[in-house]
Amino acid sequence: MGTTDSPADATETPVDPDAIRERLDRVNDPELDRSIVELQYIDDIDIDGGSVTVTFVLPTAWCSPAFAWMMATGIRDEVRALPGVTDVTVRLPDHMHGEQITTGVNREQSFESIFEDAEDGIADVRRKLDEKARFARQYDAIRALRDSGLDPDQIVSLTRDDIDLEFRSAAVAVSVRDGVLTVTAPREPLSEYLEKARATGLVTDGTDRLFADRDGSPLDPEPEAFEFSLRDARLAVSNIEGQATICASLHESRNDVTIDEPGD
Amino acid sequence: MYTHNGEDVFVIDGHIHLWDAREENIIHEGGEQFIQCFHDYHTGFTPEEEQWDMDTYRNYGAERMVEDLFRDGYVDMGIFQPTYLTDFYDEGFNTTGQNAELAEEYPERFVLNGSFDPRDGDEGIAHLERLKDDYDIQGVKLYTAEWRGDSKGWRLDSDEAFRFLDKCVELGIENIHAHKGPTIRPLNRDAFDVGDVDDAASSFPELNFIVEHIGFPRVDDFCHIATQETNVYGGLAVAAPFAQSRPRKFAEMMGELLFWVGEDNILFGSDYAIWEPDWLIPAVMDAELTQDERAEYGVELSPEVKRKFMGENAARLYDIDIEAKKEQFKDDAISREFDLGDTYEEASAD
Repeated sequence: MGTTDSPADATETPVDPDAIRERLDRVNDPELDRSIVELQYIDDIDIDGGSVTVTFVLPTAWCSPAFAWMMATGIRDEVRALPGVTDVTVRLPDHMHGEQITTGVNREQSFESIFEDAEDGIADVRRKLDEKARFARQYDAIRALRDSGLDPDQIVSLTRDDIDLEFRSAAVAVSVRDGVLTVTAPREPLSEYLEKARATGLVTDGTDRLFADRDGSPLDPEPEAFEFSLRDARLAVSNIEGQATICASLHESRNDVTIDEPGD
Repeated sequence: MYTHNGEDVFVIDGHIHLWDAREENIIHEGGEQFIQCFHDYHTGFTPEEEQWDMDTYRNYGAERMVEDLFRDGYVDMGIFQPTYLTDFYDEGFNTTGQNAELAEEYPERFVLNGSFDPRDGDEGIAHLERLKDDYDIQGVKLYTAEWRGDSKGWRLDSDEAFRFLDKCVELGIENIHAHKGPTIRPLNRDAFDVGDVDDAASSFPELNFIVEHIGFPRVDDFCHIATQETNVYGGLAVAAPFAQSRPRKFAEMMGELLFWVGEDNILFGSDYAIWEPDWLIPAVMDAELTQDERAEYGVELSPEVKRKFMGENAARLYDIDIEAKKEQFKDDAISREFDLGDTYEEASAD
């Protein structure tokens, strides 16, 4: 535990509360694909020397233990990576499995050892949610490319090497027609998409195709099929946002917070 | 009857309950968690001034229900969707038998549905036959996540379930309402997975499958199934209250549903007493798509479309003749009790 007044600690880098919040912003609710900071799940951050305790609350007492587990480990790992932090304690009050989850996460135990009768392992759950999130993020990414003038044929054949994320702070460079032409597109939808495309293993090296259908199969450039896949990705967005609406309503009612609607 | 821009809208509330969650009826901690969870959904989406306290919520009774639906709530007819939960509640939470008392008092106003659980085997088949004999049910409400002994749920595409669906065909029970929606503590989330509806619906084209709560949090899976199977419908309970607190999200969801599922395959339900029709119906009827949304989805949320999911679609599934009902409601027990006869007089004069 932290001992703030010990001379040893005084020479360490002090822990910055803003830096913690910024770091926590990288942790997402895996089902809603949105930051737990934005969703107002962070209830309290307590700093005692190098010792940090993060308390988070969820919309209901019965939110999926697997999802809660992912968020708790995310909090632990992100905060621990900050300079000056010597140990992290995660707390989850008012959850039916809060005690089990935080004890397990704080002791670095595995989900499977705590929830022995869970039907899926944590990696399986995460993969399924990542795949849904990837497909939903594809909607904004493809729309951004289309608005930049690319046609379905060009979009479908893009590979990781065709995207230069470092081009400008707000824009990426996209190489089309075998590098004959370079167009720019907004950065955020593409960088966010790529993050999930990497997490799902769809895009691992430079020659991998960027986009895929819901089931991971290559996109069809034929206009009708392409349009259908885009609508399907739109549906994936609506599903996540619809679920987010349910969670936000429950969260606001139980925990007295106000959450901005995504996309508004 | 609801009036929208001077036009009558005949409302069949496709999802209502009369439950008993009094403490003396609870025999398992799951029963208490279940009603607490229901109450969270209630407060989560209900305007503050309309919220009920827990005592009222546990057991509101038949008299209040009739007032909330017919006197104050614009509802013309309601469809009882039972939820047995006999492992949690001594006399059951909301059984066909419990609902029957009210349904038989006002048979012209209520549709009474039954239920089955394939894990009950031969005894369950006999129960279903009895429900048909006793109440002439035309539909069943199914709860695939219900606990039974050590089992935490069952699937609609299992051999055991198919045996019961065969029985439904034989008995002429055509409407199969499956709860495929948000997790309800303490039930298992995955047992509400909508995937099993696909095989059941394609194997039983003569039955209608109404996916209650449109499959949340798997609306996309539900939409894919409903696009392929014409006998798959979506029940709006849980999505409907978005109209009050998050109207833009509601409109967007309606855009998706009208595009994928279609205007003939959507049914309104308040999920009473989780939410009340008196504030819910106006909110849903006032919903509109923006020009952008209309262009994006290529659909309209027009008064005609709303009339369909507010009543006409359910009327088709349950062989209800709306014009004949309006005639009957000029002078039935409910109209006399609440002085509603005039609303039906004006309606048929149109």
